[in-house]
Amino acid sequence: MDIFRYRSDAWGQRVLEGVSWDLLWVFVGAAVAFIVFHAIYTHRKLKGQKGDD
Amino acid sequence: MTESTRVVRHRLLDRLYHWLMAAAMLTLLFTSFLPILGVKFAWVDIHWIAGVILIVLVFFHILRAVILLRLRDMWVGPREFIAAAAATTREVAGGERVNRRQGKYSVGQVLYHHGVALVVITASVTGVMMMVGVDSPFWERNPLFMSEKTRGLVFVLHGLAGLASVSMIMVHVYFAVRPEKRYLTRSMLKGWITRGELEAHHDTSRWSGDNSDQR
Repeated sequence: MDIFRYRSDAWGQRVLEGVSWDLLWVFVGAAVAFIVFHAIYTHRKLKGQKGDD
Repeated sequence: MTESTRVVRHRLLDRLYHWLMAAAMLTLLFTSFLPILGVKFAWVDIHWIAGVILIVLVFFHILRAVILLRLRDMWVGPREFIAAAAATTREVAGGERVNRRQGKYSVGQVLYHHGVALVVITASVTGVMMMVGVDSPFWERNPLFMSEKTRGLVFVLHGLAGLASVSMIMVHVYFAVRPEKRYLTRSMLKGWITRGELEAHHDTSRWSGDNSDQR
């Protein structure tokens, strides 16, 4: 997976074009991982609290 | 529910700002990422127009915040940050949940706001620099405005800001639909929370509603 995108300029040199769009799935995955972790953690915590009552 | 049991949390102008900003952000994300995912359409004009709208909104929000809103609601001191981080770490590690009553906003909400501010300002500054390269009502395109090296860096920062926005919006929407946070989502739609919600979640010595404010 690339981090950056490159292109060739008018002189054939490799120049930076931007961030690689492969990273889109890394950012989506990070958000999904956080959401899943938080949802499971909160669910277990709330279940534990109900059990204590 | 009577007016006396309602506590004003977000005034109409702030709610309008939030939802217009949301519309602009979603338009910007759809017009940038849909073409990358293979949905082809003429996205450039829609993208820069939404970007200009977002910049104008943010400009008015900053003006309003500095002149009329309480900036201390958005401040997190090092002591408050360390206390919140330590309590969260203890809790995640299996310790007792401490009911931390917050001011108007929790430490997490303030930090999220600052993260969004950083991302939006980065995207706005780099977006304006990129806009110089396309025709618009403001100027004729000037593709030589930046060196190749600067251009690459500007495109990287703009792209990273867009990618970060995707994660931030996903997490924001997740918290907005969580059952225990729905009273906050309602307040962003209707403007108020109940007195019971205020007393359950907030330290009233730090924030007791905006009812008396003339903003």
